[in-house]
Amino acid sequence: MAFHLLQRDREGAGRLAETLSDALETIHHCVQCNNFSETEICDLCATGERDPRLLCVIETPADLLMMELTRAYQGLYFVLMGRLSPLEGIGPHEIGIQKLLERAGDGVTEEVILATNFTAEGEATAHAVGELLRQRGLKVTRIARGVPVGGELEYVDSGTLAQALLERRPASP
Amino acid sequence: MSFDPARVAMEPAFVLHSTPWRETSLIVECFTPHCGRVALVAKGVRRPRSALRGLMQPFQPLLVDWFGQGELRTLKTAEWQGGLPQLSGKALLCGFYLNELLMRLLGRDDPHEALFGIYAQALARLAAAEPLEPVLRAFEVSLLQELGYAPPLEREADSGAPIDPQAQYLFELDRGALRVVVPGGNAVQFLGKTLLDMAQSRYDDPVTLSQSKQLMRLLLGHHLGHQDLHTRRIFQELPLL
Repeated sequence: MAFHLLQRDREGAGRLAETLSDALETIHHCVQCNNFSETEICDLCATGERDPRLLCVIETPADLLMMELTRAYQGLYFVLMGRLSPLEGIGPHEIGIQKLLERAGDGVTEEVILATNFTAEGEATAHAVGELLRQRGLKVTRIARGVPVGGELEYVDSGTLAQALLERRPASP
Repeated sequence: MSFDPARVAMEPAFVLHSTPWRETSLIVECFTPHCGRVALVAKGVRRPRSALRGLMQPFQPLLVDWFGQGELRTLKTAEWQGGLPQLSGKALLCGFYLNELLMRLLGRDDPHEALFGIYAQALARLAAAEPLEPVLRAFEVSLLQELGYAPPLEREADSGAPIDPQAQYLFELDRGALRVVVPGGNAVQFLGKTLLDMAQSRYDDPVTLSQSKQLMRLLLGHHLGHQDLHTRRIFQELPLL
């Protein structure tokens, strides 16, 4: 890409460089949710229209956008900016766990919803974070998983179906 | 029919670790009975609609097909084998510990068929919510035995006399258990019973449990070299938060 820009689009290269350097200078982490923000507190945290008793923990900013697309959640977020990955040496100090513990201990938060990925690393993160938050007297929940909405069993992968069976719940009356 | 490592079908496998590769692929480190640890390129599995996307997770028994020469082979298909509940909670962290040990101590393409069974059994015990420490210790001892670094646990070094369960022993890495003649000294001592219990995979005695942990740490540390295990560090960091 660098060669292409230098050879064919030097003006574009300049704009890209400027934008990147602006971003580096102006974009920081929101002091509340740890997401990227140009202001000290991001717009989402600052609206005052969200339910401050709910805090949803996710791995990345992209996950936050997906959660917002559901239009099913009115609470606030905390973005870990990663997940525990023991084999890569990514431990609690490499991601925002300490910051999350401070954030969730603000006295207003009542329930923390763990929405890390359903990968082995995401599960390990959810377990570790959940333990630490429970010790601090918070209600901790994990998002459910299973067969996708509109999903036909015939086309669901075996791992998902196996887990859906294991985590089955009483049928609604 | 001889086994051709360049074209393998329906080989049992566990994913030990995977790392993203290019835009949509993964490099997956698998542990298999007939080829040991192999690195496979799983092309396109990070695409949203890939059928293999959910399968490339650790701690799940799979059947895999691959082809190719050299150190990096190409994954053709993988099939869910099932039968093992997903690890959760502390057992999941212990699973990562087992995987890190295998990643660090097992060379690529070095088959250890028996070790594959031992690993599968350790995962099954973790998944069945058995007490964690005995599972880890038994796996560590078997791992070193299978790799040919078996610590002699039933006989004294030099003399070859049977270990006395009541006696105290020092453990020297290149020799084995040495009976403590003069009490005192700074080196860590182990009760004979601990060594015998470990040889039998018996970990119901709390003394055995704590001493075996120390001994295995010493032995593993010797084979791991200077770089400590990430999983161990993370285990220690978490309760301090």
